[in-house]
Amino acid sequence: MRTCSEEIVLYMQEYLDGNLTQDKELELKNHLQKCQACQSHFQELKRTEALVKSVSRIAAPAHFTNQVMARLPKEKNIVGFKR
Amino acid sequence: MDKLVNQRIKQVLKGDQEAFGEVVEIYKDRIFSLCYRMLGNRHEAEDIAQEAFVRAYVNIESFQLNRKFSTWLYRIATNLCIDRIRKKKPDYFLDAEIAGTEGLTLYSQLAATGKSPDAEVETLELQEIVQNEILRLPDKYRSVIILRYIDDLSLNEIAEVLEMPLGTVKTRIHRGREALRKRLHNM
Repeated sequence: MRTCSEEIVLYMQEYLDGNLTQDKELELKNHLQKCQACQSHFQELKRTEALVKSVSRIAAPAHFTNQVMARLPKEKNIVGFKR
Repeated sequence: MDKLVNQRIKQVLKGDQEAFGEVVEIYKDRIFSLCYRMLGNRHEAEDIAQEAFVRAYVNIESFQLNRKFSTWLYRIATNLCIDRIRKKKPDYFLDAEIAGTEGLTLYSQLAATGKSPDAEVETLELQEIVQNEILRLPDKYRSVIILRYIDDLSLNEIAEVLEMPLGTVKTRIHRGREALRKRLHNM
């Protein structure tokens, strides 16, 4: 299945960027209602985004801050980092 | 939060090293995540993320207080990651650690059979698949995609972090997202 025009795909991308104007968004919605190929393309893009978002943030290892502080060049008024 | 960070940076500028610890606490997860997604190896990510904070500290005088600190910090970390990627050898050894699978080598992966029915394991597997697909992106696409989703950065902020035109960021995000869509659509 091929999606329609590059312009429609660009609208999908700009929608995901949060940059699609209202009238173009309406145009996109109208198109998606009648075009199965573009509809699945859009669903796949949204799912991709959700997947990437879901893995994006992880916690830094324990003692990370202490290790950074230990690597800082020593200065005159050094004070240890306490939590 | 920007106000708090700026206060701490002013303290650091006056010589209060401890105040920098609070800045590290605020950004450590985001910077570590950025490095891990860029490099695919926890150990390396930890080293580079720590280095990013050290560089920020050493160069703190060149930070302009009217700018956003996170933008500056992201720039330092992203540049360090890209330097590290370019220095890496392309060779792939069988006992090399596989991206996103701490401690697991190709040997153990070859031995693994079947699929676990455990949903949590499947989620972990899915995370590994997504991480590996991000790592397969050329670094110019990888960095924009990671910056976009790690902290919900706007395209304008990403352009500022990477010091490149907005149009370039846009094109790279679109191509990166499209490449990931093609590889992940069966998931």
